[in-house]
Amino acid sequence: MSPEQLVIVYLLAGVLFIRSLGGLSRQETASRGNTYGLIGMALAMLATAFHPRVSTFVVIGSCLAAGGVIGAVVARRVGMTQMPELVAILHSFVGLAAVLVGLSSYLEPGAEITGVEALIHHVEIWVGVAVGAITFTGSVIAWAKLRGSISGRPLLLPGRHLLNLGIVAAIVGLAVPFTMHAGEPVAFYYLLGMTGLAAILGVHLVMAIGGADMPVVVSLLNSYSGWAAAAAGFMLANDLLILTGALVGSSGAILSIIMCRAMNRSILNVVFGGFGTADTKGPAKPAKDQGEVQEVAADGVADWLKAAKSVVIVPGYGMAVARAQNAVHDLTKQLRDAGVEVRFAIHPVAGRLPGHMNVLLAEAGVPYDIVHEMDEVNDDFDATDVVLVIGANDIVNPGALDDESSPIYGMPVLEAWKADKVVVFKRGMSAGYAGVANPLFFNDNTHMLFGDAKKSMTALVSAC
Amino acid sequence: MEKLGFEVIVERGAGASSGFSDEDYEAAGATLVEPASDGTYREAGGAEAWQADVLIKVNPPTLDEVDRIAPGATLVSLIYPAQAEALMAKLAEKDVTVFALDKVPRITRAQSMDVLSSMGNLAGYRAVLEAAKEYEGFFAPQVTAAGSLPPARVLVIGAGVAGLAAIAAARGLGAEVRAFDTRLATREQVESLGGTFLEIQFEESGEGGGGYAKTMSKEFIEAEMALFREQAKEVSIIITTALIPGRKAPLLVPTDVVDNLKPGSIVVDLAASQGGNCELCEADKIVEHNGVKILGYTDLVSRMAHSASQLFSANVVHFLKEVRGGEAWDIDLDNEVLRGACVVHDGAPLPPPERKPPPPAKKPAPAAVVEEKRPVKKPEEASAGRAWASAIGSLVLVAALFAAGTFAPSEFLQHLTVFVLACFVGWQVVWSVAPALHTPLMSVTNAISGIIIVGGMLQVGSGSLERGELDLASILGAVAIFVAAINISGGFLVTQRMLRMFRRKES
Repeated sequence: MSPEQLVIVYLLAGVLFIRSLGGLSRQETASRGNTYGLIGMALAMLATAFHPRVSTFVVIGSCLAAGGVIGAVVARRVGMTQMPELVAILHSFVGLAAVLVGLSSYLEPGAEITGVEALIHHVEIWVGVAVGAITFTGSVIAWAKLRGSISGRPLLLPGRHLLNLGIVAAIVGLAVPFTMHAGEPVAFYYLLGMTGLAAILGVHLVMAIGGADMPVVVSLLNSYSGWAAAAAGFMLANDLLILTGALVGSSGAILSIIMCRAMNRSILNVVFGGFGTADTKGPAKPAKDQGEVQEVAADGVADWLKAAKSVVIVPGYGMAVARAQNAVHDLTKQLRDAGVEVRFAIHPVAGRLPGHMNVLLAEAGVPYDIVHEMDEVNDDFDATDVVLVIGANDIVNPGALDDESSPIYGMPVLEAWKADKVVVFKRGMSAGYAGVANPLFFNDNTHMLFGDAKKSMTALVSAC
Repeated sequence: MEKLGFEVIVERGAGASSGFSDEDYEAAGATLVEPASDGTYREAGGAEAWQADVLIKVNPPTLDEVDRIAPGATLVSLIYPAQAEALMAKLAEKDVTVFALDKVPRITRAQSMDVLSSMGNLAGYRAVLEAAKEYEGFFAPQVTAAGSLPPARVLVIGAGVAGLAAIAAARGLGAEVRAFDTRLATREQVESLGGTFLEIQFEESGEGGGGYAKTMSKEFIEAEMALFREQAKEVSIIITTALIPGRKAPLLVPTDVVDNLKPGSIVVDLAASQGGNCELCEADKIVEHNGVKILGYTDLVSRMAHSASQLFSANVVHFLKEVRGGEAWDIDLDNEVLRGACVVHDGAPLPPPERKPPPPAKKPAPAAVVEEKRPVKKPEEASAGRAWASAIGSLVLVAALFAAGTFAPSEFLQHLTVFVLACFVGWQVVWSVAPALHTPLMSVTNAISGIIIVGGMLQVGSGSLERGELDLASILGAVAIFVAAINISGGFLVTQRMLRMFRRKES
């Protein structure tokens, strides 16, 4: 296949990728979107196989098959509660591939280039490898944190901002000797050294971010993986890579922005903030006459639910941890069959991944048209009889609206307290990830149902 | 009521027409008193009864009756103050407190005391039964050996309490029910009862204060009439329930709509007491017009005396609870419900309460609040600063691009063009992704960023592998293919798995 024909096929693949993302705008077309992406990918790979530079099908084929099988097995086995980990580790693969392609491209540029072109090529490699390495190690750390292999608490080294700044400066600074000595053996060591530095930077950046900020970090890494691919496209002079990388990069960036807005914080604050632990020792405030919480048993909640006309369920990360989504669905179905209006209210940062709660509820079989976003439900809490808060904390904290001293002041929250009754499913009285006490729990209309969310839900289902 | 700490006196024979005997009342602990000598219903109530501290009546008292109320007493009754100026003036002269049950505010908490809702419910239900009595056909569809009959089609105009009760009753008899209301919010309620909500293509919602509809514009009414004329050709029963409090009932079924009805059709007009929704309607009569019967009963509630009595007394008991019962009797005018219902207090007429101001406009966006707190920068300055920063930023960017344009080779510029355009395309496309699909979005972008496999493929091929030599560049390329392949297959498959789970219907 001639390079010109290849361009056309790549163009086709690019269009398919754009349609793929476009298809995800609605549930009805989402599946088709995924198929478009798949076709685009197949086209691109097939066309590349006929590229004049490619001649070793055996190696390519065997690597492809091995990777493909592993990916398929993982995709089939992974539980929906583990989606954040899977997404994180997949990001790391893109980062790793970008590093490898970058190094390889330095060793074997493909065509003879000189002068400005060579300089640009080397800078491209430098950028691509740096972004790839940060994505790789950052994603690995995010993966480990999400799995729980590493504590979710932020690791805050003294002078961490200086450390970050120093590494960035070193990465930029090393580019000078690298481009000057490009072609000589020593330059490859510069490149490897820089890769190491970028890898350390990736580790350190993500180590300093707390568990609740993971949705932002994962989105950000998603964005990085796109930029890494785009950089690889520049060094290989491949428009399809550039296009796809830019698509993915902006997609991740938008997700990060959405998440940050949902927490009323800037992206810099999330990445460098070390939120909720930097300056607070223990709970933010001593309990100032907060009063006693009221406990309730499953039977009591069941009575309220049976008498209710409209129920809103607010799920949080706790539901994912307890794997309570199936029990929640059973309850929903039972109530809906009894004529109770049940809706779900999803806060944008609920869970550990954008849209995480939606996926879990969909897995359990909850129809998506009763699962609503924050803005769609917030005005209706007044007219709601019972709100069930399942393993969520900060996203229903009234302090975010009226307590200026609260660290989460200004964050949009679900105004569950306006409902007639609020039932909070919680394991204990610990604060949420933000480390902020929640006045909601002490309200007169709030009742606590302590215990494992799944067990409580199952008890509720049998009591209803 | 005894439980609330009242001593109860009941007029002898009060319950006779509702099927409650005097003995029932005595068994419940009430004292019976003789009605006044002439014994008519209007003049009912012996001297003893009129001396009570709290008087509960169904209909408004007559002017004579007002004279007989003991000073300092409290009267709880339907009053309709807006239409009864003479009565109000008379009441105001006496040193009494009057609660108008028809003025209980229509808020959630007061639903249990809402007499009008109770009565509306009864009237709506009865209207269907009266229509069924006059209608000479089946309501429910019939499938017989001789052939099938379609169900009766019923059009209910006005989906308030009475309208909804009528819809439910007509559905219960098996009829096909259509309903119309100017308040679009009622759509859901109509549909929940199995009715079909008729709509006109018109941008105006008739949501008035206190759960009533307001009067609509002329254009709207024309569109409405056109709809009714169309519907009249298809339906055989029309029930109108449109009452705007204290005003003449709106004209909804003019003669030409009735002309469109088939002979044998029935129109039941619940607003007959206020002039009627139907032009031809006459209060308390059945008017026949070209074979169509127009029922203008105003006593539908009395035809349900037993249930009406139960509901009314339950409403009153709830109301008396609100005044904290017989022992802790306390008229708290800060209580929204009592304030709304109280039309005369200790002999002084009270104006209707001010409408509660609508809830304050939404709080300013939290972000703005945070900005205001910064002591150094005022918001305008901050945003001006930001505008400057972004302007300078774009200038620098344009300058950098221009420099690149001057020095860089054209091939690089082509790639740059693709890159920048793709960023914008991605930006536009991704904003439209539903938040519920953000996780699938991530996994699909994960999969397509596996496109880096193309880079790996090119690198493997570019080496000297085909000559049997294994160089580092090719090995790196091969590993890249391997990891990218995991990404591609894993990403697409897991997305597919997730998307298959998003269903609209319950499994």
